[in-house]
Amino acid sequence: MAELTADQEPVPPLTIAGHWDFRYQYFAGDAASRFFHELGNGRIMGTLCPQCQRVLVPARGFCDACYVSTTDWRQVGDRGRLETFTILASRFPGLPDPPVVIGYVTLAGASTALLNFVLGLDLTDVEAAATRLLAQPAVEVRFRDQREGRITDFFFQLADA
Amino acid sequence: MCPVRELAIIGVGQTAYRRRHDCSTPELVSQAVTAALHDAGIPMQDVDIVTGGFAPDGLAGENCPDKRFLPAAGAVGRWSMRVNTGGTTGIAAAYAAMDLLAARYGDIAVAVGVERMAQAVNVPAVFNSIFDPVYERDTGLSTISMGALRAARMMMKWGYTPQVWAEVAARNYAHATRNPLAQITRPYTADEVLASRLLAWPIRQLDACPISEGVCAVVLAGAEVAQRGRAVAWVRGRASCTDTYNMGDRFDRADGDLVDLLSLHRATEKALGQAGLPSAAEADVVEIHAPFTHAETMAYAPLRFCAAEDGADLVRAGFGRWDSRPVINPSGGPQAANPVGATALVRLAECALQVRRAAGERQVPDAALAVATGQGGASQFSTCTVLTAA
Ligand SMILES: [Zn+2]
Repeated sequence: MAELTADQEPVPPLTIAGHWDFRYQYFAGDAASRFFHELGNGRIMGTLCPQCQRVLVPARGFCDACYVSTTDWRQVGDRGRLETFTILASRFPGLPDPPVVIGYVTLAGASTALLNFVLGLDLTDVEAAATRLLAQPAVEVRFRDQREGRITDFFFQLADA
Repeated sequence: MCPVRELAIIGVGQTAYRRRHDCSTPELVSQAVTAALHDAGIPMQDVDIVTGGFAPDGLAGENCPDKRFLPAAGAVGRWSMRVNTGGTTGIAAAYAAMDLLAARYGDIAVAVGVERMAQAVNVPAVFNSIFDPVYERDTGLSTISMGALRAARMMMKWGYTPQVWAEVAARNYAHATRNPLAQITRPYTADEVLASRLLAWPIRQLDACPISEGVCAVVLAGAEVAQRGRAVAWVRGRASCTDTYNMGDRFDRADGDLVDLLSLHRATEKALGQAGLPSAAEADVVEIHAPFTHAETMAYAPLRFCAAEDGADLVRAGFGRWDSRPVINPSGGPQAANPVGATALVRLAECALQVRRAAGERQVPDAALAVATGQGGASQFSTCTVLTAA
């Protein structure tokens, strides 16, 4: 008579392949829609918090520090200070090909910094490039010719490049 | 008004924190919870409340995993809830359990932190998906580059160097050799850290945490249950504070710069105040939730170890090593194992083991006071918990 038990020999752990690749449409919202529209006009715009008087860039509909709605729009300058940066140095699927620099920049007239690519640096020597960026050089905005309403419609480059 | 109910951690159960192809998620959860209940000497029948944390669903590739992991933690027939605040998820689950106990919705609670990220084939891409899809995700931002942006700022402001951070890593790896649950048990030297692969300047492979999974469980109880003659860890202070998501809003801010870690500064101020401590340096053990070496040093000023600009000198002086007090990360910390959804709870559990003198080979002699931090989101969710032996 057959025994009503499982096989006694060890069974290798089983893995089952899967994937999770749903598509989405992100709703940029009121403030970001206008911000990206103005990128099309070649302008970087921020929103003013009526309480702390900060010009929030990129634009937001409310200030989460004061918890009040922003009111006016302000155009900010296209030059600014590199607050910090990193140089992506290893390749990961789905992320930008290295080496590439991203950094936070506070543009003239803005109270906050925005993140984007910093292009145009010689990155053959990563340490030398990093030393140059640690000095927080002035950077400027460069708009791409073809703009599609994304943050990548512009990038930063060193102002003295 | 009733006096505040005193709470204690009466049991700890942990799986090893490494790739666990041999166990399903519910199996791992039940192993940790069973171990925690055994450690507490409590049967599941006596548990009133089950809380749990499980960090980004995308890492495990299972949406709403609470439906399977909470029953595996003992939730069937009980009050249960899942909480999620990124890296602080595990400690947030423990705080939720403490809140429910303090409000007397029950006398005994189980809190679990769960991580299943080894199931993700491409972890950095999943981590890119946690960032703002409108303004920031296109830049390829990931948790590694998010950390690197802070590290570079610390170099600009306070003179940190990769050499200093390599010493932090070497100390964590040395401590991890004592911890059988750690994923990395090789005592890498500072030179090996500096020679490891550059991920995102200035962060190298061995400055960063490994891809770890596993489950941490703790049993919590009100004082009436905890006072049974068994060693427990009393919760003497705890606080949580949150900062804005927007990293770009925090540069040269009057309240604190991006790398001042304002949320941890404020959480620590409250928790230390509740425990009557001027500084976390008074503790025997401090478990710092820092998946990167620079992030550990970013916590030094908020923990009142030193002024922010003196952190590098503190490292060079050997602060936090095994033969000093406080010992930083006797477990090896998140650099030796970082199961994201569990990590912040692991810091608490390791501190509880220390003050209960139940930490085995990684026991710091006579530890009686321990401080655990939690750090999550865009370095925006912070917690600080103070535990004592008596
Ligand atoms: Zn404001």
